[in-house]
Amino acid sequence: MTLTLPLDFWDISLLLAITAIILLVTSEFLSPYYGKSNIKINKKRLKNAAITTAVLFLATVGIRIITIILNM
Amino acid sequence: MLRINLPSQKKTKITMPRTLAVTILLLGLIAFTLAIVYASSVPAFIGLGLTFWGIILLYVQNEAYTKDIILDATTTSLLTTLDQTLQELEYRGKAIYLPPKYLNNPEDAKAYIPKQKTGKLPTPEQTQSLETQPSSRNAQGMLITPPGAELTRLAEQTLGTLFTKTNLEYLQQNLPKLFIEDFEIATDFEIRPSQDKPPKTLDSSTDQIEQKHDTIYFKITAPAYRNTRKQAQQLPRIHANIGCPLTSAIACMIAKATGKPTILDTQQTSEDGQTTETEYRLLEEEPT
Repeated sequence: MTLTLPLDFWDISLLLAITAIILLVTSEFLSPYYGKSNIKINKKRLKNAAITTAVLFLATVGIRIITIILNM
Repeated sequence: MLRINLPSQKKTKITMPRTLAVTILLLGLIAFTLAIVYASSVPAFIGLGLTFWGIILLYVQNEAYTKDIILDATTTSLLTTLDQTLQELEYRGKAIYLPPKYLNNPEDAKAYIPKQKTGKLPTPEQTQSLETQPSSRNAQGMLITPPGAELTRLAEQTLGTLFTKTNLEYLQQNLPKLFIEDFEIATDFEIRPSQDKPPKTLDSSTDQIEQKHDTIYFKITAPAYRNTRKQAQQLPRIHANIGCPLTSAIACMIAKATGKPTILDTQQTSEDGQTTETEYRLLEEEPT
């Protein structure tokens, strides 16, 4: 039996995009600039996680673009 | 809510959100492993998604909070005691927040309270010798550690700098982010020089300490300390004098950053206690 990862690079990119959007929107909604929020989470860490996920997604897009250019 | 950095604890508390995050993480890992074994893409998506969210939930919840009503409950009595002490000792002057050159340890934050309303600004030598006395007071005035001293120290630690090495521009650029994002105690923050206001003359001055000065305008909208600020209005030695912990901390920061003795000139607090507007005055020292 051979173990293979059933997801390709583009699937992971899609997953990162969805996660990044959810995290970025949540982070912005919970921002202390828009008033007091009663959700007790570390907003700074949430923001960092959102930015990191967004950067990872953009990196996958970058890799994809470079691949397309190189294959032309 | 005020965010408090507690010292790291060795034992990790088992809480409901943490248990939920760990469960999501484990479910995700199991689903992802099964997806690899059976080469199926649907459980792989679910597994990877759950794993991501498990990690994120574990990462963002590690924070200690305390309710802001606790802050009010613990601070108000201390301010009342300070007010009563100053009244009984009959120190009537306006509190002067001292810059580092007036103190033996430049990292300290101290305020000088003259005995008389018309009290003069002391010399650095006088305050330094006053600091070494057991009661930190004499016939002319007394030195106190203001209510915002520790908040100033915390701000320096968070920003990773000493305010003595900065200037007013640095405060304008960094304090809004510090109070809104890092401390999470304010929703609006403004600090700027207010040069448009004409300098007060000796006749109109309430304390008659100095003639030449610059003023700095400060406005904060903060749900934290709102009851303290409301109650501080009833305390004559605190309101527009020593100030509440927030306005006192700003006075300490201004004195350190500008290197000039600073006083709270005027102060207004909104009816709900959320917004406070304060004008600080920088005192010019007499040439020696």
